[in-house]
Amino acid sequence: MNTVNFVTIPSSIVPDQEILVFGSRRLTYADLNDQVARLCAVFKQFGLAHGDVVALLDTNSDLYIECYYAAAKAGLVFLPLNYRAKDAELEYMINTAQTKALLVGDRYLELVNKIQSRLSANTIVAIGDAARGLPRLADLIAKADPDESEAEVEDEDISILMYTSGTTSLPKGVQLRFRDFTAYVTANVEMADGTDRGASLVCVPFYHIAGTTSYMTNIWTGRKLIVMPQFDARTWLDLVQRERVTHAFVVPTMMKQILDEPSFANSDLSSLTNLAYGGAAMPVQVIRRAIEVFPKRVGFVNAYGQTETTSSLTVLGPDDHRLEGTPEQIELKLKRLNSVGLPLPDVEIHVRDEDGNLLPAGQVGEIIIRTPRIMKGYAGRDDNARLLDGWRATGDLGWLDSGGYVFFAGRKDDMIIRGGENIAPAEIETVLMSHPAVDECAVIGVPSVEWGQTVKAFVVVRKGKTATEQELAEFCRSRLASFKRPERIEFIDTMPKNPLGKILRKDLRAPAGDV
Amino acid sequence: MANVLGKRYVCEKCGTEVLCNKAGAGGVECCDGEMKIKEAKPLPSSD
Repeated sequence: MNTVNFVTIPSSIVPDQEILVFGSRRLTYADLNDQVARLCAVFKQFGLAHGDVVALLDTNSDLYIECYYAAAKAGLVFLPLNYRAKDAELEYMINTAQTKALLVGDRYLELVNKIQSRLSANTIVAIGDAARGLPRLADLIAKADPDESEAEVEDEDISILMYTSGTTSLPKGVQLRFRDFTAYVTANVEMADGTDRGASLVCVPFYHIAGTTSYMTNIWTGRKLIVMPQFDARTWLDLVQRERVTHAFVVPTMMKQILDEPSFANSDLSSLTNLAYGGAAMPVQVIRRAIEVFPKRVGFVNAYGQTETTSSLTVLGPDDHRLEGTPEQIELKLKRLNSVGLPLPDVEIHVRDEDGNLLPAGQVGEIIIRTPRIMKGYAGRDDNARLLDGWRATGDLGWLDSGGYVFFAGRKDDMIIRGGENIAPAEIETVLMSHPAVDECAVIGVPSVEWGQTVKAFVVVRKGKTATEQELAEFCRSRLASFKRPERIEFIDTMPKNPLGKILRKDLRAPAGDV
Repeated sequence: MANVLGKRYVCEKCGTEVLCNKAGAGGVECCDGEMKIKEAKPLPSSD
């Protein structure tokens, strides 16, 4: 079905229900539906036709969501651009997607102005208050009549083209179909029917799959969506109190910032029942602290997924985060806090070796998955990693425990091969992170004439603590096999990360100035 | 059984799914049989 129905159907049932909040703007379903219909008319005035790509470059807002649904209503492909991307990356994404129209927020007008002559888009529109010589979307919407039609779309038609974070290489354009989102949303939440489903705070960028599925599921199910333009710990805490937020999703770095925020202790978080996290590996120290200090009724959820699989594949649910029971049960729960939980009902997971053989519990191999919501493919590429019988190789390494819990062991591309021995960086990082002076760390392989690759660690020292290379090397010596010990340890001030908190290993590998 | 607002109905023979966006007293049928309600399995996450 066309995903615009996630708005139009609830809008016909509960038109007066407040569903979207951004700053001082508060929209009912009817308001949202009307705005989407006007925007759809504007997109058609641009001359855009079925399957054309419309891109958006801005931080999160209510207008962002309206633009997605208007694009769906008109049968267009929506491209949410990473607003932290550099000029060349933006140009690459806009042009490889063959973007026809580009919508630009105030903050990015100057940047777009610089690269405009090299872009494929022949319609560029300002969506904020400023214009810089461009037409303003608000003026066009004001003059437009609502377009009540809805494009007929096939399940195979692409709805969103989403570029992956590119932690190891250039970003790849993931083609997600209308049917991928329909499968995800309708399988996981019930449609809005006027009952109180709470309020959800979204602070992850909409160019990320977690941000996108968040607005789709919440709007479909009638859970009021509170949108933050960008994350800020103090504002997050304020909004949870003010809007009586029940559900939220954060990435690990956000969780740490929330816990460190001085106003945390005085914040009323009693409305919060469900706090999910994902997007990058969560340091176990951080989640343990969160379990301790958030109100007891908060259910924590760790979600692991990929853009290519239309969001979550596995979840570690609230019960797994409640450190209660016999000493043995607690010990098992503590171990499983390092896991990403169990597969969702529509997901199958295997772990296999390089020859494709299934591996038993406890052995590290590549995670392969099967679900009805695997992407169509990558735009302009044929490396979609699709295997026989609908399985997909994720490129992620991991292992299963005896209960089927999935443990993540890093990216396959990050695997270090030293003298023929495979070394997963995550194993060394876990050891280093258990040292009291280590705040953050990342391990990579560096070229070596003798071994092919050797192990190098980058370490950020915790504030107020000190550590020497020798001390950390000694710490690793007693905890790791000899070939796994870092041969070099470099101290750095900050860890390079993408907006979701994933460590950018390519930046660590690249010589300075060549990133 | 009367149709229920917001529920998905699935035909166990051919796999067709139907979504009810206005409830009524009737029931939906497909392949000569009553279609069955398909419940969502709620994600324990912010979604």
